[in-house]
Amino acid sequence: MSMHFIRAGLQTSIQDYGRPGLMHYGIPIGGAADPLSMKLANMLLGNPLNNPVLEITLTGPLIEFTCDVSIAITGAQFKTSLNNRAIEYYRVIQVKRGDILNFSKLISGMRAYIGISAKISTPMILGSTATHLISGFGGHHDRAIENGDRIGFVDTWTARPAKLKRELQPNYKLRPLIRVVHGPEAGSFSQEIMEKFSGTSFQVSAQSNRMGIRLSPSINPSREALTETSGKMISSGLYPGSIQIPENGEPIISFIEGQTIGGYPRLAHVIRADLHRLGQLNALDKISFQVITLENARIILREKQKSLEKLQREIATETRDLLTL
Amino acid sequence: MISTQEKPRFLKLEFDIIANGDCALDIRFSAEPSELLSRYIIGLRQYILKQDDLKVIDLIPAYQCLTITFDPLLYLDESLSREVKTLTKKFLKATNSHFLEREPCVIRIPVCYENSFAPDMLTVSEYTGLTPEEIIELHSTSVYLVHMLGFSPGFLYLGGLDPKLHCPRKEAPRLHIPAGAVGIGGGQTGIYPQATPGGWQIIGQTPIKLFQPYNTSPFIAQPLDTIEFYSISESEFNDIAPQVQCKYSKESYP
Repeated sequence: MSMHFIRAGLQTSIQDYGRPGLMHYGIPIGGAADPLSMKLANMLLGNPLNNPVLEITLTGPLIEFTCDVSIAITGAQFKTSLNNRAIEYYRVIQVKRGDILNFSKLISGMRAYIGISAKISTPMILGSTATHLISGFGGHHDRAIENGDRIGFVDTWTARPAKLKRELQPNYKLRPLIRVVHGPEAGSFSQEIMEKFSGTSFQVSAQSNRMGIRLSPSINPSREALTETSGKMISSGLYPGSIQIPENGEPIISFIEGQTIGGYPRLAHVIRADLHRLGQLNALDKISFQVITLENARIILREKQKSLEKLQREIATETRDLLTL
Repeated sequence: MISTQEKPRFLKLEFDIIANGDCALDIRFSAEPSELLSRYIIGLRQYILKQDDLKVIDLIPAYQCLTITFDPLLYLDESLSREVKTLTKKFLKATNSHFLEREPCVIRIPVCYENSFAPDMLTVSEYTGLTPEEIIELHSTSVYLVHMLGFSPGFLYLGGLDPKLHCPRKEAPRLHIPAGAVGIGGGQTGIYPQATPGGWQIIGQTPIKLFQPYNTSPFIAQPLDTIEFYSISESEFNDIAPQVQCKYSKESYP
């Protein structure tokens, strides 16, 4: 029982929630870059939300299934076909042995997720099957999937039919406004720089990856201000979402495989509720930031969690409806 | 277990609790980095870990700071911040709470400082006004304290770099630094455990692996251990490297 990757795609890897709790060893949390899409794929299949998924980046794979299994695809929209027939995302698809799943042109977003109604036989390293792509450990042989790889299953089950209404599916065509709170060193930047930061439409650099998302243009803080900040700066734990300002003034958002301790002043911090959106940012995408209070960040997170729970109930209802048809 | 009843005479243990985004809190001390402050931070970390009612995910020590990460859905107000403040005060006040649960080790690490492994030796030489030989001599005769692990898996933040070797970080981080590279960034020195981007000036490389995820003990050192570097030639480097690639055990190095 396996998925045979005839073509691997640019960076296809096994991911889950990652390895929270090991940052004090320098091990970033890692896991799915867009955990919301991962959760939705597992939700549709009735899986535990942390069931390992395949994360597909920028160019997709060509997969042959060697067993019957249910799958659900979420996240970035690729032109995708099963045995040369177009398939829909955000619904349970029953795949038969010998079926060919092909991802071609990327339409929107950056990363798609394939959820599987199976247990992937990849061993757990430090509590997770997630592939740490930057440090090269975990997942399938400590690396991204390569052409010809077979990902084995130790167990499969059949998921009930389910789908997510189109209006509830995330839309990555809109330019995201990412909400942030002040970072630990925000007070060291002038009011002018803070305003420039919230007023600028930034472009995502092609040098971005799971470690960090690099932005341009520079917000040009004065060299004196930065030197002063760096001099006074107290390095501390760098949580994903921290926006650091290095000396060239071009912001870097620390991402899921980012360094665990900060070296540059942190102007702002992407709120937890919006962190998953960073996983769908593609090179040259435009983003802007809105600074909010910590209190509002908490309210937004609670609301988002409520809608996710509502979604889970709706998927369950949807499943029941489809079964009675 | 090391236990010291002695209260520090010259360390002001003033601290602040600061939000580090919406998933983390920093306990920041105003005192300058020191071995004593690190002892307090590691001790405080162990003390907080023992509080069963506190739902925290991770405690990340740094030179002057202990970062606590948590699930923000479990703390939708300032209650965690208040609890942490109380706990920290309690810990600092207690006379017998300044303890460590483990005996620190001394770890010796071979470093090749030769040209092909030291792309920034000239930059450091120009900035410090020292010859490469003087830099190597100073760098490999000091004793370094592991303040914390961080940056990337297994990276050691070391204290004890000779002030003569202080040299600023690169203006923009390099996109690729090889695993084992030994660098200087400001007043710090350290080894990159994996090939990663990074902003430090590279003056050498060790064939030792600092992170072995499949070993029962994946890390070569813990906070408060001491590190010593010793200079090796390129041919010695090439002799050690394959052994390390195949199998590395903590017992054989040093």
